[in-house]
Amino acid sequence: MKFNKNRRTLLSRRTALKGIAATTGVAAATLAAPTIIRRASAAEPIRVGVISPLTGAWTVYGRAHASGFELAVDEINARGGVLGRPMEVVLGDSKTEPRIVVEQANRLIRQARVDFLAGTFSSAERQAGAPVATQANKILLYPTFYEGQEGEYYPGVCNKNIFMFGPEPTQQVWPFMEYMMNKFGKKFFLIGSDYVWPQVTNLVSKRKIDELGGEVVAEVYIPFNTPQYDSVLRDIRNSDADIIFHTLTGSDTVNFRQQFVAAGMNKNFTLWTVDDEEVVTSGLGPQASEGTYVSFDYFMSIDHPNNKTFLKSFHTKFGKDALMNTVGVAMYNAAHMAALAIEKTGEVSTDAIREGLEDLTFDKAPQGTVTMRKLDHQLVLPSFLMRVRKGWTSVNDMFEEIQSVTKAVPLDARCKYPLQ
Amino acid sequence: MLSTTISVLIDATLLTFTLALASLGLAIIFGLIGVINMGHGAMLTLGAYFTWWTMEAGFPFAAAAIIAATCVAIIGLALEHFIIRHFYDKPFETLLITWGFFLVTTEVIKIAFGTDIHNIPNPLPGSFDLGVQQVPAYRMLLAIITLGLFLAIGFVFYRTTIGIKVRALTQNREMASLLGLDIGRTYKLVFVTGSFLAGLAGALICPMLSIDPYIGMVFLVRAFFVVIVGGIGQILGGTLIGSFLIGGSETLFALFSTQTFAQTVVFALAIIVLRFRPLGVLTSATRT
Repeated sequence: MKFNKNRRTLLSRRTALKGIAATTGVAAATLAAPTIIRRASAAEPIRVGVISPLTGAWTVYGRAHASGFELAVDEINARGGVLGRPMEVVLGDSKTEPRIVVEQANRLIRQARVDFLAGTFSSAERQAGAPVATQANKILLYPTFYEGQEGEYYPGVCNKNIFMFGPEPTQQVWPFMEYMMNKFGKKFFLIGSDYVWPQVTNLVSKRKIDELGGEVVAEVYIPFNTPQYDSVLRDIRNSDADIIFHTLTGSDTVNFRQQFVAAGMNKNFTLWTVDDEEVVTSGLGPQASEGTYVSFDYFMSIDHPNNKTFLKSFHTKFGKDALMNTVGVAMYNAAHMAALAIEKTGEVSTDAIREGLEDLTFDKAPQGTVTMRKLDHQLVLPSFLMRVRKGWTSVNDMFEEIQSVTKAVPLDARCKYPLQ
Repeated sequence: MLSTTISVLIDATLLTFTLALASLGLAIIFGLIGVINMGHGAMLTLGAYFTWWTMEAGFPFAAAAIIAATCVAIIGLALEHFIIRHFYDKPFETLLITWGFFLVTTEVIKIAFGTDIHNIPNPLPGSFDLGVQQVPAYRMLLAIITLGLFLAIGFVFYRTTIGIKVRALTQNREMASLLGLDIGRTYKLVFVTGSFLAGLAGALICPMLSIDPYIGMVFLVRAFFVVIVGGIGQILGGTLIGSFLIGGSETLFALFSTQTFAQTVVFALAIIVLRFRPLGVLTSATRT
């Protein structure tokens, strides 16, 4: 009797829990409005959960972000998939909010039952998604240029399940420091948005500036959504800086640069940005951007046979005006390299993908040949310094190459090894 | 030292006038007819987008700005006629309605124009050399236009019959109505004027900023602070003083501290000002 009673309570509690779980699940699914791209095939597809900023503050980057991965998946499926199985993208919108990334990562892993994850955009989004991926023991392929890995930020970095496909400062900034200093002078004015990526990028860049005998005359951080820059422009004007090293992001970039150029200051200072790829430079327009130096691992205008092939299929799929950038290309590389890794090990498990990706070289990357370093899961890739061409008309003639390295080897990440 | 002082004064003046321009439409709608217009940000955004769009179609900047402001005025008219006028005595409802207007407009803009960042070229490149520093020509023009707008509004407000009607309305609605003033029409006029000025401000400010769906949002909070700190209903002096305290003083604080700190101090200061002058700097506490 007693036993039965207990049993009943247990049962009812379990039913209640199920009910709650179902309701939450339905609610989450309805809210998240998943876009599932299905392709007909007899074999069970390999599912990839892609988390992109499709709405919210960083939407401008979101389109290239998602389409880079989709393009690669199309190419993979066109040649017969991976191990005879098609690859399927389950797209989740991060809404540019770390909180939503957690929801989406959970949904993709638990409901869509994806085999691994790719995406998230900002470092904050990666930091939010990483614990979910770690707990579920899923791989996360991260595409964005970012601040590098420091052990204290585990599990967002220094994580055996996370792979970095975008450049970090010792790849994006260091290779060109000497050229810039020799050409324009040794005094730097650092200006950036007030969050972790600009701050750490500046910290790392300062080490190189010091090493080469340069000097940082000021380091300024601007809160997000600042419309007016008069006082900052005054500080720059009154400093005797040679180079303005610029890590502002999104619309703040455009606001600052419009006012910088309106004040005629582009004649007196050299501006070097590590944020303004094709999308932001398009948003700036020729007037506010010409003459600026930009460094990244990828530009639409790099002259490489791989890039020509890549852009041709990109434009066929997404139209001739579609914009690609470093993040989209990183997503493209991530998809292809994951497929290669699975083919190499012959298995679609987390351990197999990890093992396959480590020390994997991909020679069809749009920017050249790239290698995933086993030690810290950081991609070794080419790096380019470009100048924004005067009077450019489209992304095709936007940048002219000043300098490049075919293999930018980063400093070892400041992690505990082997990665945990 | 002297040159720094002058340079700070120039910056503060330019900032003050830009913010005053961005707040003027709100000062009129909120200050005169009491509608807490959360849609002000959307009106700025629409002004910017219409300007960009009209210029893409080949119009020169000046024409584009006027067309944009007119379009925003028409949208304001529709909003007032179909919705707002039924809620004039319900401030909380108008707050929600105009916030809804802001959200809907922002989404519609994303659908219609996409989420890409746009820009228009600086309509007046070049700069004036004022000895201590170069002042961008367009910023100077903007300050002059703002000053012109304030003078024009001052003239209408204090020197014309329309102005008398509006003032009568804001001072004592019942009495004005008993004396034969058409309240509904006057409200409509004020709302449409405010919308027009918001649209115009969006148009005039956008060459300095990135044109994206959130361009107006950046100014919304600042504009509310300007109007409240300056004093609700004090559309001329109040808006200018409010703009100086919220915008111009930032550049003073930035002299001694970081940009982040300066922005924080300004808003903290605004709250302190309101604690001691709850009705704004220019409104004495004794007035009811």
